[in-house]
Amino acid sequence: MFRLAGPLGAATLFVASALNAASMPAESRGFLDRNCVACHAGEQAQAGIRLDGSGIDWTSGEATALWERVYDVLETKLMPPRGAGQPSEVERERMAGWLEGQLLSHTASGASVPRRLNRYEYENSIRSLFNLPDFEVPHSFPADDSRHGFDNNGEGLVLSPPLMAQYLVLATHVADEVLPPARGATAAASKLHRLGRDGLATGAGGLVGDGAFRIVSSRNMANVAAWPVRFEARQSGIYRLTFNAVGYETDRMFYEQRAQPFRLQIYARPKADEVYAPFGDLRILAEFDVHPGGSAPRTLTAEIELLAGETFGIRWENGPAYSDPPRRDFSHAFLADRLTRDRLFYAAMLEFGGGARSTTEKELYEAIRALMDSGNLDLHDPRLDKLPEVWGGGLSSAPHNWIKGFVHQELFRFGPAVDLSGIEVEGPLRLVEDDATRARRARSERFLGERAPGTTDEEHARTVIGRFLPRAFRRPVEEGQVEAYAALAAGYLRDIPGARIEDALHLVLRRALVSPNFLYRGLRPGPLDSFDLASRLSYFITSAPPDDALATAASGGALSDPAVLAKEAERLLLSQASDRFVRSFTGQWLSTRLLRGIMPDPRLIQFGDANRDAMIAEAEMLFAEILREDLSLEAFIDPGFSYRNARLNKIYGDDLEGPEMRRVTFETGGRYGGILSLAAVMMATANGVDTNPVHRGVWLLENVFGTPAPEPPPDVPAIAPDTSGATLIRDQLAAHRADPTCARCHDRIDPLGMVLESFDPVGLWRDHYPVYTQPEDGSEALNEEFYSTVGKGTAAGPLVDSVGLLADGTRLDDTPALKRYVVEHIDMFSGCLVGKLLVYATGRALTFRDRREVERIVAAAKSRGNGFRDLILEAVGSEAFATR
Amino acid sequence: MHQPGRRKFLQGVGGSLALPMLESLSPKPLRGLQQDPAPLQRLVCVGTYLGFHQPDFFPQRTGPGFEFSPVLKPLESYRDRLTVFSGLDHRGRNGHGGWQAWMSGSATGSVSMDQLVADKVGDHTRFASLQLTCGTPPDPARMSFTKEGVALPMIGRPSVLYQTLFRSSDDSARLEYLLASNRSVLDGVTQEAKALARSVTASDREKLGEYFASVRQVEKDLRKQRLWLDRPVPRVDYPLPEFDPVAPDLALECESIMYDLMALALTTDSTRVATFLVPGWSQVFTIGGRKLSAGYHGLSHHGNNPVRIADYNLVGIEHVRRFGRFLDKLDKAKDEHGRSLLDTAAVVFGSGMGNANTHDNSNLPTVLLGGAFRHGSHWRIERDAPNPRLLGDLYLSLLQRFGIDVDKFAGGESNLDELVA
Repeated sequence: MFRLAGPLGAATLFVASALNAASMPAESRGFLDRNCVACHAGEQAQAGIRLDGSGIDWTSGEATALWERVYDVLETKLMPPRGAGQPSEVERERMAGWLEGQLLSHTASGASVPRRLNRYEYENSIRSLFNLPDFEVPHSFPADDSRHGFDNNGEGLVLSPPLMAQYLVLATHVADEVLPPARGATAAASKLHRLGRDGLATGAGGLVGDGAFRIVSSRNMANVAAWPVRFEARQSGIYRLTFNAVGYETDRMFYEQRAQPFRLQIYARPKADEVYAPFGDLRILAEFDVHPGGSAPRTLTAEIELLAGETFGIRWENGPAYSDPPRRDFSHAFLADRLTRDRLFYAAMLEFGGGARSTTEKELYEAIRALMDSGNLDLHDPRLDKLPEVWGGGLSSAPHNWIKGFVHQELFRFGPAVDLSGIEVEGPLRLVEDDATRARRARSERFLGERAPGTTDEEHARTVIGRFLPRAFRRPVEEGQVEAYAALAAGYLRDIPGARIEDALHLVLRRALVSPNFLYRGLRPGPLDSFDLASRLSYFITSAPPDDALATAASGGALSDPAVLAKEAERLLLSQASDRFVRSFTGQWLSTRLLRGIMPDPRLIQFGDANRDAMIAEAEMLFAEILREDLSLEAFIDPGFSYRNARLNKIYGDDLEGPEMRRVTFETGGRYGGILSLAAVMMATANGVDTNPVHRGVWLLENVFGTPAPEPPPDVPAIAPDTSGATLIRDQLAAHRADPTCARCHDRIDPLGMVLESFDPVGLWRDHYPVYTQPEDGSEALNEEFYSTVGKGTAAGPLVDSVGLLADGTRLDDTPALKRYVVEHIDMFSGCLVGKLLVYATGRALTFRDRREVERIVAAAKSRGNGFRDLILEAVGSEAFATR
Repeated sequence: MHQPGRRKFLQGVGGSLALPMLESLSPKPLRGLQQDPAPLQRLVCVGTYLGFHQPDFFPQRTGPGFEFSPVLKPLESYRDRLTVFSGLDHRGRNGHGGWQAWMSGSATGSVSMDQLVADKVGDHTRFASLQLTCGTPPDPARMSFTKEGVALPMIGRPSVLYQTLFRSSDDSARLEYLLASNRSVLDGVTQEAKALARSVTASDREKLGEYFASVRQVEKDLRKQRLWLDRPVPRVDYPLPEFDPVAPDLALECESIMYDLMALALTTDSTRVATFLVPGWSQVFTIGGRKLSAGYHGLSHHGNNPVRIADYNLVGIEHVRRFGRFLDKLDKAKDEHGRSLLDTAAVVFGSGMGNANTHDNSNLPTVLLGGAFRHGSHWRIERDAPNPRLLGDLYLSLLQRFGIDVDKFAGGESNLDELVA
C-alpha cells in the first residue's frame, strides 16, 4: 500500500468524457453506486470527487490520479467513512482488484521529463570535467525548487532567464580558468606603503599610548592576530615588509613568558574582509624571534610573497592564549587550565555570577578584577576544586567570551604582549606567477592534450572537440555535432589574425557549457541505454557525472548487464564520492536541510552553528554506517549506536568532550537511537519554539510509513496547538477530529505525532511541557547556565501525554513502542524508503505501476537479509530505475 | 585586450553585428514635466543591516511639528523635504533572515520594489539597476530580488563598482567580444535545442520550452548591453583609494565611498535605480577618537544597557550623516530640465530590522524623501488599529508614482497617499 501519487486539488474532477471513456463493468458500476455516489456525485460532490460517470478516460492523467486515490482509500478502508454503510470484504476486494488491474494496464512506468542539473550537480559536473575542485556557484545563483520531496526532480528543475544568464556568465568564468585569455606583459608597479596608527586591525588588543599596536595573543586564532586594513597586494609578487617589535611585560603577568622568545610569524591572509580564516589553511611567509626582557624595539624585515588580492598578518605563534582548531573561540583546555591554576580568578567568576549579557569587555574585566583585589573571596569554596559541571559539553558561548574578554584585557594591561610599530611594506619588488596562474596553465595544457606532429590549429581543435564533447554531454556525440563545434573554432581561427587555438576553444567551451546537452540529462527518447544508465547511476550516488571507470563500462555497453550495473553501483556506494548521496539524500529525506532556517528559543538550549552541524553530522553518519556496513533496515529505527560530540551532550545526556564526532553504543529499545528520535529530525519537524503533533505525524506518514497524508483542504485554518497548558493538546486535536472531514486524515496523523510529543523542539526528552520563566531574549537564562547543566529559563508545566492510538487499534505508549511497531512492520518502512530512493534516482514521481516494482524490491532485499545496501542495489537493478 | 579582427569574425559566425536599434531599447526623453503628477524617474533605497535604536530614531512628536530625533539629526536641513514613518512593517518573520523581506514583504521568493521600478525605467540607462553594499556582507543579508525570486548579487568593492561604471577601453573591447560571441553561442545552442526538440516527446518538448524562452530573454538583454557599449562611458574624476576598504573595521569608510559612487552613478545617468545594503558585523568602530564599548553587532544587542545604546546610536548617526551627504550630492545635480535629481527620485532610508536587540522585525525605521510627495511630517501608524497600514502600502504609493500599474504589493492593498500626496 504505497500511495505515492500527489494530492488532488479541490477542483471538481469529473473526467469521464463520452469520447475516450472506457465503459465500466456492471459489477464495478454497481459497487460505486451503492457505496460512493451518495456523496461523490454531481456538482456538489464531496471534496470535488465525482464517481458517477459512466466510464473512465484512462488517457487522462487526472483520471488516473483520481482512480489511484479511489484504490487507496478502498485498500486502506478509509472509505466509505466511519458510520456509513460498509461493503462486504469480498465486495471490497473485488472492486479493488478490478481497479488495480485497470490501473496497472493503463499506467506506464516512467516518463521522467529531462532533468536540468541542479545547483549541486552543476557544481560537481564542472569540477569533474575541468579539474576545478574548488569551483562554486555564487550566492546569487538561483536556488532549485523541490518536487516530490527532492530538488533533483525534472518537473521542479525549471530554467529561468536569470538562471540562463548565470550559466552564460559562469561558462565564461570556467573558460577563463581552463583556457585563460592572453594577457600582455605587466610590469611590477612598486610602491611604498606606510601603515600608520590605524593601519592594523585585530580582534583583541589595539593601540597603546605611544602609537604602538599591541597584540595580546594570536597562536591559532586568526581573528586575534594583527593584519593591515589599508593594504592589499595589487599584483602577485615579492614585497619587502619592515616593522618594529618589542615584548611587553610587567610584574603582574599571570602567564610567564620570559623563559622563551616571542615567536612572530608573518602569514598570508587571503582577503582583507575574511576575518575568521583558520591558521591551518594559511601560508607562513616569515618567522622572527623577539627576545623578551629587552626594552628597545627590534627592527625586523623580510621579503614575502603575496598573491594579488592578498594581504599579510602578524601572528604571535606562542602567545599564551590558544584554541583548538577548527574552533575559533577559546578552547576548553585553555579555559580549564586557567580556572584550575587561578583559584582567585575562578572564585571571582563564581562570585560575579556572570554579569548581564550587555556588560562590555572592559566593564567585565574591571568588575572581576575588583573582586579579585577585594580580598573577600572564599578560596576554600569546594566548587573551586572541580571545573563547572557544564564543562563537558554544551558550554555556552557566553562564559567563553567572558573569560576570553577578561584574559585579553588582562594581557593588554599587564602583558605578556607584543608591541608593533613602524610597519612598512614595499613592492612588488618583482612579480611572481601565482599558483592560480600555474594551475590555469596546467589545466590548459591538459585540455589541449598531445598534439600530433604536423597538425594545424584547426585540425587539432577538432581533435580536442571530438574528445571533449562526449565527456561534457556524457554520451557519444554525433559527427554533425562535432562538426558544428569544429566550424565555430575554425571560423575563429580563420577570421582573426594571430588567433590562438586557446581562444578558439574558449568559445567552444562556452557554448558547450550552455548547451541543453550539457545542462540536461535524460533528453533522449526511448528506453535508457548504457550511457543514460551510467549518468542516472552516477548522479544518483555521487551527484556528479560518471567517473572514468563507469564511463568505460558504459561505452562498452556492459551496463545493460544487471550484474555489471550492480557491481558499479556497489563500487560507487563504497567510495568517498557517495558522501554526496549521503548528504543530499538525508538532508531531504530526513529534512535536516531545514535546520539552517530554525533558531531555537534560547530558553530551551544555547544553540549555535556547532550544535546544528553536530545534529546534521549525527544523521549523516548514522545513515552512512548503515549504508557502508550494509546493516539491516531495522538499524534506521533502533540501531543501538550513534555518532555524537560534546555539542549534543545536553540533548542525549552523554559526557563527551570536544568537537569530534564519536561512535557511541547503547542498549536498543530505548528513547534514543534511530531516525525516529534524532535531534535533527525532531528539530526539523518543529519550529524551534514549540512542537505540533500534526507536523510530526505528517512527517512520519510521509517519510517512514509511506502513506502520506494529502494536503489539507484549502479553506481550513492550520491547527496551532496551545502548549501553555490551558487546554490539553490531546483535547484540542480531538475537538478538531470531531469533524469527519478532518478526521479522515487526522485519525492517521495525530496519534503518531502525539507519540513524539516527548521530544521538545530541539529533540530533548521532556516529561513536562515547559513554562517559560525568563524573558524571551534569554539574557538571564544565559548567565544561569554557567553553573548548571539545565537551562533555568523554564519550569515544569503540564505532563506530556505520549499515547497514540492507531487506526488499526494498536496502542503506542511512547517512542520505544513506536520503534517496536515500525520494526514489526519493517516492510512498510522498507517500501517507503525504496520509494524515496527511486524518486531521488529517477527524478520523477512513481506511478501505480512502479508500486509493484517497489514491492518486488522490498521482497528481494528481504530475501538477501534486508541490508540497506542490498536494498539500494535491488532498486538500481529494477525496471523502475531503468525506465525514463 | 584589443583584437582588431574580432568584429569581422563575428559577422561571420554570429549573424549581423549592425544591431537593430530597437524602439523599446532606445533612450526616450524624460517623460512629461508638464504632466501632473510627474511620474518619478529614480529610486534609491538604503537599509542598514543592524537597524537603529528605535526610541532614538523615531521623533517623539508627530505631524509637521515633529522634532528631529538624535539619530536623524543630521537630516535636519531636509525637514520640509522628508517624511518619517513609525509603526510600518510587513508583519513578517523575525531574525536576521527576516531582513530580506524589507523591499519585497516576503522573506524569500518575491520581487522587490526596486526591481519593479527597474523594469519600468531601466531601459533608459546602461544599468537597469545597481545593488551595492560594503565588502562581503553576512550570509542572510539580501535586499533585491528578481521576479523569479532570485537574490541579486551586490557589489561590495569600490574598485569593482568604479570599474563597472566607468570602465577602461581595454575592458570595453573584451566586453564587446564576449557580448557578441555570447550571442553566437546562444544561436548555436538554440540550434542544438531545436534538433533535440524534433526527436523528443510532447512533455519533453514542453520542458525544452523553458530553455528556448530563457535563451530568448537573455538574448534580449545582451542586445541591450550591446547597444550601450557603443555609447561613451562617462568620464569622472573621482579619487578612488588604492586599496578597497572592505575590512569590517573600515566599513564606515567604505560606506562613504559607495555613497559617492552611487551618487556618481545617478548623476551620470548610468542607472536610475540603486539599492544599498549597509552591512554590519562584529567590528569595533572607533568614532570621534574613541573605541566603542563593543562590536557593532554586540551593540545592536544592547540589552538595554545605556552605554551600549549610546554607542549603537553613534554608529547609527554615522550612517545617517553619510546618507545626508549623499542627499546633498543628489540634490545639487540637475536633470536636463534643471530639476534637482532628488526631486525626480523617491529615496527610502531605513532598515529591515526593527528592534535588533530582540531580532524583532516590526516597527521598521522608515524615512521617505524625494519628489512628488508631500513632506515635512512624522506619521505614527497605529499598529493595533483594526486594519493597520503596512509598509507595503507606502511602497504602493511609490510604485504608482512611477506609473506602474499595481494595486497590491508586499502585503499592502491600498496606497498611503492620504499621508504623502
